[in-house]
Amino acid sequence: MKPTILAFETSCDETAVAVVRGTEILSNVLSSQVDLHARFGGVVPEVAARAHIEAIRSLTHEALRKAGVHPDDLDGVAATAGPGLVGALLVGHSFAKATAWARRLPFVGIDHMEGHLMAPRLQYEEFQPPLVGLLASGGHSQIVHVTEWGDYETLGATIDDAAGEAFDKLARVMGLGFPGGPAIDAASDEGDPAAVDFPRALSDRPYDFSFSGLKTSVVTFLAKAKKSGDLPSQADVAAAVQEAIVDVLVDKTFRAVDDTGAK
Amino acid sequence: MRLLAIETATPGSSVTLAEGRDAVAYAARVDRTGHSEFLVPAIDFCFDQAGWSPADLDGIVVDVGPGLYTGLRVGVATAQGLGATLGIPVIPVVSLDALALDAATGRRHIWAVIDVRRGEVAFSTYWPVPGGVVRDGAPDLVDLAGLRARLESNPSDTLVVGDFPVLPEDTLRGLHRVKTGRPRYPSARAVAEIGAGRFERDEIPHPDEIRPLYLREPDVTINWEKLHQAGPWG
Ligand SMILES: [Zn+2]
Repeated sequence: MKPTILAFETSCDETAVAVVRGTEILSNVLSSQVDLHARFGGVVPEVAARAHIEAIRSLTHEALRKAGVHPDDLDGVAATAGPGLVGALLVGHSFAKATAWARRLPFVGIDHMEGHLMAPRLQYEEFQPPLVGLLASGGHSQIVHVTEWGDYETLGATIDDAAGEAFDKLARVMGLGFPGGPAIDAASDEGDPAAVDFPRALSDRPYDFSFSGLKTSVVTFLAKAKKSGDLPSQADVAAAVQEAIVDVLVDKTFRAVDDTGAK
Repeated sequence: MRLLAIETATPGSSVTLAEGRDAVAYAARVDRTGHSEFLVPAIDFCFDQAGWSPADLDGIVVDVGPGLYTGLRVGVATAQGLGATLGIPVIPVVSLDALALDAATGRRHIWAVIDVRRGEVAFSTYWPVPGGVVRDGAPDLVDLAGLRARLESNPSDTLVVGDFPVLPEDTLRGLHRVKTGRPRYPSARAVAEIGAGRFERDEIPHPDEIRPLYLREPDVTINWEKLHQAGPWG
């Protein structure tokens, strides 16, 4: 039988515990802190660490119960090792290491980026190397070439803001609040992405990207449009902003796919 | 009754295995930030020395503070992980109580002090009684001038224990009736002893009630700019 793993992720503002057998997810429970941080306008590390320690024990209990797995049936324990918020990471790491130690199970600390990179494999069987992965979550934007699992080469990355940070900043100038990604996505629902043509900021390096120029042009555009009285709807601007960011990410990623010959 | 005691509330981390109230293995290290690297290897070392296995344990005792936030969370998360997977109770102990229990005094009023940074200390006061100490009230925070003022107005002969060497020298200088003494840090042995008493009296809280004793709200810098910008449609 494939190994059964109890896994913990506490690198930022979500406490997540899962039981996985091979690539089958037996349970996956999480406690989100988004509401806790939203009123502060960003993730507060100390608030995050406190919330993790309050949630982790009962979440673990729930994950095992939902999976129908007794701790005796586990073959290993894993936890995100970093990068992330240090105080938050330590909660999951300490709890996981203790669990593994008590059961004499192997414990593996997992690189946060590798976790993102391998996540689709649980859903799509055909997701196998050689492949090119685009990592675009809150704090990081990278294009990674995977020749085989465990063998990674970062082809490119953002030279200024990560995509998530770009969404946060743009949501702010549009008065959409925090966190920016979901806010812009929700606002863009009825919008027409072709209503405004924002520049696709392409850096000269083939797989790197930059989002600070986009922010400047959105700010300039909004100021001018408001002054001249032909401000497009918020939905249209949100849709155009979202498309500008996604276009850059997708364009660079597919360029890497072509160049590396990945599937 | 076999207990594991975990102490990571201050720079002086330690681990003890205790049979009843008697320590059978002990490991310690002084390091302001090394709690996480220390803890599981130290636990492993103690089990090795005692020849115990994790399944032999009846309970876990953990210092929940007040103290260094990160250390407290490492200790509490480790205790919770062990308790949950072994199906045994976790018993919380206050760091200041562990300090006071080890205070070497026969009759003086004991003031246990733990540095919690930003110009403040956590403290509690105790009277020695046969077989231990009795705390006067709940642990509290006080700034250094406040600590000195309270000591000045305290009519009893007093022994200050804890991490006072990190305090500015004039905090305690020239105070009548006040002596300073050991221990500097709480020890897992004292934590185990207090925990053993609770265990015998069946004072075992629900595991969700076991939280670090921070004594302070988290330090939050609200990003007003992010929250308040209205945008051109606002
Ligand atoms: Zn991430």
